[in-house]
Amino acid sequence: MGLNRRAFIQFSVGGTLGLLVTPVIWKTLDDVSIWTQNWGWIPTLKKGVEERVPAVSKLCPSGCALRVETVGGEPYSTTGDEDNPLSKGGLCPICADAVPLLYSPTRVQGPMVRTGEGQYQPVSWDEAKKLLAEKLGAAGSSVAVISGDDTGSGNEVFSALLAELGSDDYYMMPSPQMAATRAWNGLMGGEGQIGYDIAGSDFVLFAGADALSSWGPTVSNMNAFAESHPAGEKAKSTYVYAGPARNHTSSVCDSWVPVHPEGMSAFLLGLAYNLITEGRYLESGDFAALRSLLASKYSPAQVEKLTGVSKKSLAELAGKLLRASAPVVVADYGCSPAVAAAGIIVNLLLGRMNTWGGMVALPEVEPVLGSALDRPTRFAKDLPADVASGAFAPKVCLIYDANPVYGLPQYGEKIAEKAEFTVAFSTFKDETAAVADLVLPAAHPFERYDDLVNPFGVANTTYVASSPVVKPSLDVMGAPQFALDLAAEMGLDLGFENFEEVLEAKAEAAEAAVGTVGSYSVGLGLPALSDADKTSGQLALYAYSQLHIGSASMATTPHNPTTIRDTELQGKQMFVRINSETAKANGLKAGSKVRLSANGVECQALVHVDEGVMPGVVAAPLGFGHTAWDEFSMGKGGNVYKLLTVSAGSGGSAWTGSAVTIAKM
Amino acid sequence: MEEMRASKQYGGALPFLLGFLVVAVAGWVLFPDILFVDKEQPFRFSHVAHVEGQGMLCEDCHYFREDGSFAGFPTNEECAMCHDIGDPQELVDALAEVTGSPDNIEDVLKQEEGPEALDYLILSAEPEDIQAERAFIVKYLAQGKEVPWYNYQFQPDNVFFSHKAHADLTMAQVAALEGGHGEAEAAEADAEDGTNCNLCHLEDIHLRSDTPPFQENVMTGYSKMTMKMWQCERCHAQMHQSNACYVCHK
Repeated sequence: MGLNRRAFIQFSVGGTLGLLVTPVIWKTLDDVSIWTQNWGWIPTLKKGVEERVPAVSKLCPSGCALRVETVGGEPYSTTGDEDNPLSKGGLCPICADAVPLLYSPTRVQGPMVRTGEGQYQPVSWDEAKKLLAEKLGAAGSSVAVISGDDTGSGNEVFSALLAELGSDDYYMMPSPQMAATRAWNGLMGGEGQIGYDIAGSDFVLFAGADALSSWGPTVSNMNAFAESHPAGEKAKSTYVYAGPARNHTSSVCDSWVPVHPEGMSAFLLGLAYNLITEGRYLESGDFAALRSLLASKYSPAQVEKLTGVSKKSLAELAGKLLRASAPVVVADYGCSPAVAAAGIIVNLLLGRMNTWGGMVALPEVEPVLGSALDRPTRFAKDLPADVASGAFAPKVCLIYDANPVYGLPQYGEKIAEKAEFTVAFSTFKDETAAVADLVLPAAHPFERYDDLVNPFGVANTTYVASSPVVKPSLDVMGAPQFALDLAAEMGLDLGFENFEEVLEAKAEAAEAAVGTVGSYSVGLGLPALSDADKTSGQLALYAYSQLHIGSASMATTPHNPTTIRDTELQGKQMFVRINSETAKANGLKAGSKVRLSANGVECQALVHVDEGVMPGVVAAPLGFGHTAWDEFSMGKGGNVYKLLTVSAGSGGSAWTGSAVTIAKM
Repeated sequence: MEEMRASKQYGGALPFLLGFLVVAVAGWVLFPDILFVDKEQPFRFSHVAHVEGQGMLCEDCHYFREDGSFAGFPTNEECAMCHDIGDPQELVDALAEVTGSPDNIEDVLKQEEGPEALDYLILSAEPEDIQAERAFIVKYLAQGKEVPWYNYQFQPDNVFFSHKAHADLTMAQVAALEGGHGEAEAAEADAEDGTNCNLCHLEDIHLRSDTPPFQENVMTGYSKMTMKMWQCERCHAQMHQSNACYVCHK
């Protein structure tokens, strides 16, 4: 039998049938289907022990004490920390996204030195340290620090370094703490750090402070509100919001009092007028002068003109404050020391100093680095004023935990122009990193030692420190530790070599600073208050912050674009809110495309007609208009920080008098 | 002529049978060898040395955490409770002195003993165990790397298998299931303590001194021992448990 065609076919048929009784076809088909589920690029799960590690995230302005959820030591999410009195299990919208930000492609991967317009070359940390040491050595005392760290001991390290270099040009980025500190510790000569016992109060007046969304210890404030307003039950306390437009805070408060943006100080002084009329007084050498000032400039009729709040409404509100057993006024608007001082005066007139449910003055937590500035002194320097006057012109400027190029009102873009050599300690590729001469990537909060020292607004001495949750995956390091290493490189003795040791010392200092300080015998900051009756007479700009959009230093975080409404952003156009009366007066209607102008800067926007905005006011969101970060933030909307008009007051720069022109495009 | 043709046609069945047998045998015998490749574990691990030699219990390494999850392979940190090498950098420096560079400290494994800094750390007594322990210390503990064990039974990420949910299931229960369960019956015969580990894992692994090769499917990357979904479903059905997707696929 030879192998002919017939035999071959028979062999093949036999072979085919033989194949069918083997697992070859069926197993191969099965495995091919499984193979398609396992492409190499599909990420695989990390297996291991699941933990909830306590940590601090300082990505939001106030800082959140939270827990990082990890598997096998790898962070995958954040939750609130039920055991921490500051958060009680809550989280802000930024820190809720802290883990995705840990892995964000917008992070700075390693130290970089600028080689040309928009061009950078990677360098090692040692090279960066030597370069900066040379620059600082050549700069002498012409060195400045800009810090956006409102709460951390890192300030002390940079402050001590600056002092050793012979400079006191330590600038803090504007914040509510800055306004309150300049008012209480500066204008009024008070002692300690101002805080508010919102949880203990039965009548809370938020005067301009968006305290349930973006102001102060937001999560703590929200917890206090939630406890006082249990679902389905009668509220245990009354919350009132006073401000130019409805916002997240006003939407849940028991009532909203519309107050013109330029009239917040006058509104508070109008309340003071009514309280004094009802017999309240202060043991202050300035009290008689205050009475005269109120009588001459802030009578209810005058306040009505300045603020839009009727005499009757003002009197009723003053009456409610007087009748409450534990009222407190939380005042902050436009970084104005005058507003802060006026709020403090109302609290003092109500007798709410260092009382349960009132305003408190916490003892200062003493610096642990000998040459570091204390907290009130750190807030004394006025960055916008010095940039405007030309006094800010350092040879080397160190920018720590801040993004002033984006978030400093009016003068942000001038920062890098004024400084000869700018160093940005940036975790992310932000606007400041994009123009800095040397970019030193700061470790993410979960990769570094850090602390929260009395986040502004808390009612009790609060200290939270955290150690790294995870090893850095990038070539980054904690900025304060680098500053300590830099000092050692330059032969400067700051007293510490390790930032962890600084935190240990700070914890001890915080332990010794409990209770309250301060007294009613303070000045009343009258020079700042005497100008509070000035108005621009133009369309007023009310710039409001929302953490889900971002902050002065952070862009929109990864999960938050879906929370931005179509009445806040449409494509690349942001919305500004005006009411129908303002729209009509300016020939606008819903959806009109407009150009906002102020300070020689323009922003484009669409109009959202909203009766929750006072007449004569344009409510514009802060947080849009980034020129750096990622595709989800870059080029979306306009940067309203640029539109804010900085005006010099006796307590320091403020932007309560920001005005804009609005023109249809 | 007609007879001859008929005869040839009859003889033509031979190629058919031959083709059938050749392919069938190849499919059953050769195909598995082609489909799976052997991969050696990172180093030889002796359960006997730990269980019999040191009196350790299975639960000392393979335990349930407080939250009910199963620890699986022990981590370096857990191994270091006995295999304590002190400061890893000091050991790396000592090894680097021998090899000339910290980049090639694993070259010391080419020799059976030394340097002293490494010998000092060895707890094993048997030559094979000593070599395995040297590999563990030099390749992993000293360099701070977790051991990349091949898991004989690993399931894909889209399967959530809870050891805790199956912990109380005994071999006898499984073997008695309606419809039979060959693996369990076979395993039950060898299981003295009633634990059901043998149902899925290498049989009586605690009595073995070696670590057999991991048989990897060249197409899927899975282990030859990875349990298939139909096996899970069969047992669930026999135990009157839900076979809804979400039970295993979270």
